[in-house]
Amino acid sequence: MNNAAAIPILLPIGAALLTLLRPKPSQARRAFVTCAFAALLVVALWLLAHVADHGAVVLRVGGWPVPFGIVLVVDTLAAIMLALSALTALACSLYGFAEEPSAQEHPLRLPLWLFLIAGINLSFVTGDLFNLFVAFEVMLLASYGLLTLESDARESRGALPYLTINLVGSALFLATCGLTYSLFGTLNFAEIIVRADQLSGDPRLTLLGLLLLLVFGLKAGVFPLYYWLPNSYPILPAPLAAFYAGMLTKVGVYVLMRIFGTVLPPTEHALHQLIAWTAGVTMIVGVLGAVGQSRVQVILSYHIVSQIGFMVLAIGLHSVAAFVAAIFYIIHHIIVKSSLFLAGGIVIRANGTDDLARTGGLWQAAPWLGLFFLLQAMSLAGIPPLSGFWGKLMIVQEGFVQREWVLVTLSLVASVLTMMSMLKIWLGAFWKKPPPAAVRVDAGSRRMTAVGVAMLAVSLTIGLGAEFFIRIASRAAHETLDRAGYVRSVNDANTTLYPGKHP
Amino acid sequence: MTNQLEAAVLVAILATCGLYLCLSRRFLRMLFGFLLLSNAANLVLLAVSGDPTGRRSGTIRADGSAILSVDPLPQALILTAIVIGFAVAAFLTVLLYRLYTDRATTTLDGLQVDPPRGGAAQREEEKST
Repeated sequence: MNNAAAIPILLPIGAALLTLLRPKPSQARRAFVTCAFAALLVVALWLLAHVADHGAVVLRVGGWPVPFGIVLVVDTLAAIMLALSALTALACSLYGFAEEPSAQEHPLRLPLWLFLIAGINLSFVTGDLFNLFVAFEVMLLASYGLLTLESDARESRGALPYLTINLVGSALFLATCGLTYSLFGTLNFAEIIVRADQLSGDPRLTLLGLLLLLVFGLKAGVFPLYYWLPNSYPILPAPLAAFYAGMLTKVGVYVLMRIFGTVLPPTEHALHQLIAWTAGVTMIVGVLGAVGQSRVQVILSYHIVSQIGFMVLAIGLHSVAAFVAAIFYIIHHIIVKSSLFLAGGIVIRANGTDDLARTGGLWQAAPWLGLFFLLQAMSLAGIPPLSGFWGKLMIVQEGFVQREWVLVTLSLVASVLTMMSMLKIWLGAFWKKPPPAAVRVDAGSRRMTAVGVAMLAVSLTIGLGAEFFIRIASRAAHETLDRAGYVRSVNDANTTLYPGKHP
Repeated sequence: MTNQLEAAVLVAILATCGLYLCLSRRFLRMLFGFLLLSNAANLVLLAVSGDPTGRRSGTIRADGSAILSVDPLPQALILTAIVIGFAVAAFLTVLLYRLYTDRATTTLDGLQVDPPRGGAAQREEEKST
């Protein structure tokens, strides 16, 4: 039963190796990868249900006792993230299959995508800091590969800053692992929790928290470390851009939650204030960056930065209600943001460009695409009763409770500006009269739209059935902030004995 | 804890040089910058593993008495980090070399404009004609 915690990592690695054995792109290979993603989704949903009934699933890798060996921990938050990564991967890959025939596909795209997911999933389930570093490296290496795989030289120029800043980030993360070990004498999250409480108030702990914030803020794209994001995401092919937009920055947000919610003691108020204020600036800077842009994918990329601000603000407010809001917001945002990027991909296909000066007429040519984009864009801006509204409402409510008037105002201003940007895309690509060049909507575009409409259905379910999702988010938030409970559930793993020899 | 000033100074020098080179626009400098940075990070881990004559390590004998040795865990971390750093360096080398052969440029600025004549691309053409 505990071994199930390893499936979300082993399954994509196994599938990636198998696809590498059959390097020629074919329909059979695509069907196989679709099955792998679907299986991942089923496993993740099963884990989510199982964790709800029986508590966190903890696997001691190799049977080593807990503070010494590697542990994999799947609690509610991790299971939610696993399910979201599998769902986004499934939708984006189906969209990619509809986009181009299998003969034109790059033979390395699917294997690298599977490795990317293995890295992402490992960073969700890992129970120690060094494995988190390994997970990030697996994820980043695959993402470097995918980013440069199908880009020409001009686009590679956008990829190089992403590479450089992540290389520096990785070195910093490694050094931070070393400093953590020298401070605590362990890298295991559960053991760090116990030892950090004894160090509470020690300036070294604050410094360590600052370093971790720097490392993971870089991955999440928090101000002032966001500039690589709007330059690199638009160079990706549409399905991959949608997956990156949905998942990669959210890995950073998840880890910030795990570190500042679970691992470090809740008494680090100065750090939480710092997180909240950088988040406030991030929201505004991201949304203002989008104002001057005219390409759909670039506008959407700047909005990722802005929305990251909302989630990180909730982490900085640091209460159970704020964490519920953050987790609900992540669920909403991954679905909505990746489907908006998918819509942007169809705009490029229909018009040959996503420059808003040269697009138009899509509302007439593709009404389903228009409906799908409009609803998701309104959800992103936070119009009730769509999914984005509930997340923002909870964050603003918590801001009022904590009397953070300036931050609440910033978030409301950011929401209004988001609405403006979405209107700009709507008017430019959909409502305007068709451009002189023909608007081309073929069977492939219609199949791609079908995938988008399926994502829209998921997003509408989240918005209309918000109560159910808030209940799940609330359970995840309670578990994340229950540090004693985390230690207990990890240490309880020592009582289950595995058959065979023991180290 | 023993005096680890030398290690700190060395890490500071390596990290400064690495960061400076990483910010450069030339491909080769970026590569060297990354190599220096990853070695600086490895040195931090090495410094953490302590000194055999001073800091007590986490390892004990079967009877419970302490062994006078360095802490083996950071060494394991460094080993992993070296392997990962090697993979990243290999990827970076291939990527930058491909950019050089495809676009005949060794700087970031060269990627923005059309490829200049000369360099590897022209040599390729001369070879084929």
